[in-house]
Amino acid sequence: MPGDKIYEDLSVIIRRANAVFRIVAVALLLVLSYYWKTQILDFRKFWDLAESNRTRIRVLSAPRGLIRDRTGAVLADNRVSFKVSLLRESVKNEGVVYPAVSKLLGISEAELRSRVERYKNLPLFEPLVIQDGLEPEKIAPIEARRLEFPELEIEAEPRRSYPNKTLAAHVLGYLQERSPEEIRDNPGRNLRLSDMGGRAGLERQYDDRLTGQDGSVLEIVDSLGRKRGEKATQPPTQGRDIHLSISAILQTKAEELLGDREGAIVALDPSTGEILAMASSPTFDPNRFIGRFTPEEWVQLTNGPSSPLENRAIRGLYAPGSIFKLVMAMGGLDLGYVTDQTTVYCNGSVLIYGTSRACWFHQGHGSMNLVNAIRNSCNIYFYTLGRQMGIDPIAASAGRLGLGRKTGLDLPGEKEGLVPSEEWKMKALKTPWFPGETISVAIGQGQLQVTPLQIAVMTGIIANRGGRVEPHLLLGREGSPGAGSSGIANRAPFKHEAFESVIEGMWRSVNDQGTGQGARVDGMDICGKTGSTQVVSRERAEMLAKAGKPIKTHSWFSGFAPRDKPRIVVTVLVEFGGGGGAIAGPLAGQMFRTWKDLPGK
Amino acid sequence: MMIDRRLFEEIDWVLIGLVLLLSLLGVLFIYSSSHFLPGNYYLRQLIWIGIGLGAAFLVVIVDYKFLVSFSIYLYFLIIAILAASLVFARLVAGTKSWVKFGLFQIQPSELAKVVLILVFARIFAEYKGRYLNAGSTALALVVAGVPLVLIMLQPDLGTALTFVAIFGAAFILGGLRKKTIIILLALSLIAGAGGWTFGLKDYQKKRLTTLLNPREDPRGSGYQINQSKIAIGSGGLTGKGFMNGSQSQLRFLPARHTDFIFSVIGEEFGFLGVFIVFLLYFLTLARMFLSVAKARDRAGVYLIFMASVLVTFQFLINVLMIIGLFPVTGIPLPFLSYGGSSLLGNFIACGFILNVKMRRFANV
Repeated sequence: MPGDKIYEDLSVIIRRANAVFRIVAVALLLVLSYYWKTQILDFRKFWDLAESNRTRIRVLSAPRGLIRDRTGAVLADNRVSFKVSLLRESVKNEGVVYPAVSKLLGISEAELRSRVERYKNLPLFEPLVIQDGLEPEKIAPIEARRLEFPELEIEAEPRRSYPNKTLAAHVLGYLQERSPEEIRDNPGRNLRLSDMGGRAGLERQYDDRLTGQDGSVLEIVDSLGRKRGEKATQPPTQGRDIHLSISAILQTKAEELLGDREGAIVALDPSTGEILAMASSPTFDPNRFIGRFTPEEWVQLTNGPSSPLENRAIRGLYAPGSIFKLVMAMGGLDLGYVTDQTTVYCNGSVLIYGTSRACWFHQGHGSMNLVNAIRNSCNIYFYTLGRQMGIDPIAASAGRLGLGRKTGLDLPGEKEGLVPSEEWKMKALKTPWFPGETISVAIGQGQLQVTPLQIAVMTGIIANRGGRVEPHLLLGREGSPGAGSSGIANRAPFKHEAFESVIEGMWRSVNDQGTGQGARVDGMDICGKTGSTQVVSRERAEMLAKAGKPIKTHSWFSGFAPRDKPRIVVTVLVEFGGGGGAIAGPLAGQMFRTWKDLPGK
Repeated sequence: MMIDRRLFEEIDWVLIGLVLLLSLLGVLFIYSSSHFLPGNYYLRQLIWIGIGLGAAFLVVIVDYKFLVSFSIYLYFLIIAILAASLVFARLVAGTKSWVKFGLFQIQPSELAKVVLILVFARIFAEYKGRYLNAGSTALALVVAGVPLVLIMLQPDLGTALTFVAIFGAAFILGGLRKKTIIILLALSLIAGAGGWTFGLKDYQKKRLTTLLNPREDPRGSGYQINQSKIAIGSGGLTGKGFMNGSQSQLRFLPARHTDFIFSVIGEEFGFLGVFIVFLLYFLTLARMFLSVAKARDRAGVYLIFMASVLVTFQFLINVLMIIGLFPVTGIPLPFLSYGGSSLLGNFIACGFILNVKMRRFANV
C-alpha cells in the first residue's frame, strides 16, 4: 500500500470533495424548486391533463321513436344489437393488429383499412365502428378474446328493426349511416358520425322527430383504454313515436295481392285524406339495409331493372289510360260540351283527322250516353268529346282534379307527373300542339303521366263531390299538411250534377256488368273505373296485333265506396297486367272486401 | 481480519438508518405501484434489502485497504464477465445487460460500478501531487475506457453515464490542469459527435430528441416523459393519497415501480412527499460526503467520495429524468427503485463508506 505515514496531508482532496458536495446541495435545491414549479404553480394544468387521461366520454345511442299503424301495431321497432369499434389510439402496430382484427371479425383487411382511411379526420380517441348489427351469440367468441384485443370495444346499441320485414317498406323507408356532409350541414342537430339516420320514406321525412337525444357516460379508463369505472351518466332519450294512418291489415292485404307482380296499390280515406295502405311491388326488407355497411345486395337493388327501392305509388309514372275518361267526363259536363243526355254512336271505330281510331270493343257499343260510356269505357265517345274540347280545357280539368302536381303527401321524393297543354308543348318541345294529339290524351294516352297516388286522390275528389283530398300518412290532426282540421280544404270547382253523372257511370261500371265488375263486392256500393294503358306506341301495338302477338298493357282500377258518404278509395296499378277489368279490378275488390271486414274502422 | 468490538462501535448507524429508511419508503411505493401486478415485487425488494445489508456487512468486515489492493483482480474478473455477457447473455429489453445466475438475474454492470470505485481508489491514491500528470491521466483513461466501451456495446447508456460520473469524480479529486481539461473536453466532444453518428442506437437518439420536445411524439418516446410529468404535476401539494394516484394506479405511468417510482411518490404524496424524500437524500448525501474528513488515508477519501458521487449522480439524474429535464436513460433511483442489482451496488457503495469511516484510527 502506498504512503504508510499514519496521517498524510489530505486537506486538498478533502477541500475538493466538500466543494463538490456544496455544488450537489445547490443542485438539489434547484431541482427541488423545479418540482415546486411543476407541482404547485402548474398544478391545475397537470391535474386537468391527468383527468382527461383517465376519463373518456362514451355516447349512449338513443333509440329512435317507434312507428305504429292506426291501431297501435308496431311497424318499426328497436332491438338490442352489438357493434364492434376500433380504438385507433390503442393500435400500436397496424401491420399486426389489422390482419388479426379482420380475421377475428371475418371482414377483409382491405375493407377495414378503407374504413379507417375514410374516417381519418375523426379524432383518434373516438371509437370507430367497424362492425355492427351483431347478435349476442356472434359477440361471444369476440368477447372471449378481449384481452388479446385491447384496441377493440364492444358495445350494445339500439338497432332499428322492422318486425314485419317487407311490410310497408316503401312507406317506412330505411336508415343509413349519416354522412360527413350531413353532419356538416346540420350543426344544430348534434349529429354524430356513425349514427344512423333516416335515408328514405317516413324515416327520412320525420327524422327529426324520430331521432332521440343521445346520452353519455363519463368512463374511467386505464392506459390501455380498458374501462375501470364510471363517473357520471346522462341517460339517452328515445325519439318520439309516430302513429300512421296506415292499417297493417289493409297494407298486408295489398302486398299479398300484388305478390310477384310489379305495381302499386293505394287505399285512402277520402273524408280525411288518411292513407290506409300504400303498397309498391317488388319490395325489399329494410332490415337488411340498416347496417353501416352497404351489402352488395343493396347495390344490386338500386341498380336492378325492376327498381325495388322505388315507391311506385308516388314515384311511378304511368299513362292513366281509360281512368282519364273520368277527367274527360267531368270537364265535358262542367264546361257544357256534353250533357248526360248527349249520345255518341259507337260502331267499333271512328275516323278522326284522317286517321281511323278503334274502340277496344271491336263490335262497337252502339249508342252511348255519358253514363254508359263510362260504364263500358267506350273510346269512341271520348274521342269525340276530346275533339270537341281541345287540349287546354282538358288540361284545366285534369289540373282541377289534382293531376300534374304533387299531392303533398308527407313522403320525400313524390313525382308530379305531366298533363300536356299547348303552352307546355311549346315550352318543352318548341313545337305547336297538333289536334291529333288531343285524341290520344282523351283516352289517357299521349304524354300524360300520373302516379297511382294522384289517381287515388282524383278518385277521392270525385267521391267527395269536389271535396279536396290532401293525403297524409300521420294519423289524426298533426298529419294534415294544411292548416285545416280535416283533409278536405276548398272544393274542386265542378257542377254538382257532373259528379252525380260520373259517379253513376262508375257505379254501373262495377255493379251493372260494366268493365269494372271484377271489383264488385256483395253488400257494398262500390263505384270505380278501369284502365288499360298501352305501354308501346299505337303503331307498334297495331303491328303486334296484326302479327297475332299479345300486347301486354298496364292494368288500372280506381274506385271508392260507399257511393254516398265515401270512406275508402282504392287505386290499383299492375304493370303489364293486361286489361284493367281482368286484373286490377278483382284486386281492388279484394281490398274493398278486406276493408269491409276491418274491425273497428 | 475479523471485526472486533471497537470497530463495531465505530459503525455509522445514522447512515445505515437513513439508507434503510429510504429503502423501506421504496418498498411502500413499490407496493402502491405494483400491487395489481403478479410477482409480489415489494416482497422481493424486501429480500433484496436483506441481501444488500448482508453484502454491505461482508464489505465492512474486510479492511478496505485489502479490498483496494485486491481490486485489480476484481477488475479483470468484471471485464471478463462484461465481455462474456456481451457474447452469451440473451437479449433482455433490447440490451445484453442481464446475466442469469440460477434464480437471480444480475446486471454485471451494476457490480462493475463498485469494482471500478475500488480500482480508481487504488490508482489515484498513488498520486499525491496537487495535480495529476499526463501519464497517470492516460493510465486512468485506459483503465476506465475498457469497461466503458464494453458497457456501451451492451448497450446500456445509463450505466455508461454513471461510469463517466465516477471517473469524473476521481479526476476532480486528483486535480486536473486547465490544459488537460481542455484536451479532455475536446476529446469528449469528438467522441460525442462520433457516438451520435455511429454509436447510438435509434431509440437512444430518439430519447435525446424527445427530451427537447416531448409533445412531438406523445405515444412514443415522449409518452413516458409526458405521463410522468402529468403524474408529478397533478400531485399538487399533498398528493392524491396512498394507492390513489390515477396515473400510477391506471397504469398511464411507465416503469412505475422501477425507474419512475419517484413519479408515484410525487403523484400520491405531492410536493410534501417530494420534499421529504429530498430532505432524506440531502441528509444521507451530507452524511456520505462529509465522511471524507474521517478518512485515514488518500484511498479512503477516494473511496468515500466516489461512492457518494455514485449515489448522488444516480439520484440527480433520476429525479431530472422523470420530470423531463434529462433523457430517459434507465437510471434507477438509488434505494427506492425496485431492482436487486441496483440495490446491491448501492448498499456495497455504502459499505465502502462505513468501512473507511470505522477504520479511521490507524492500524486497529
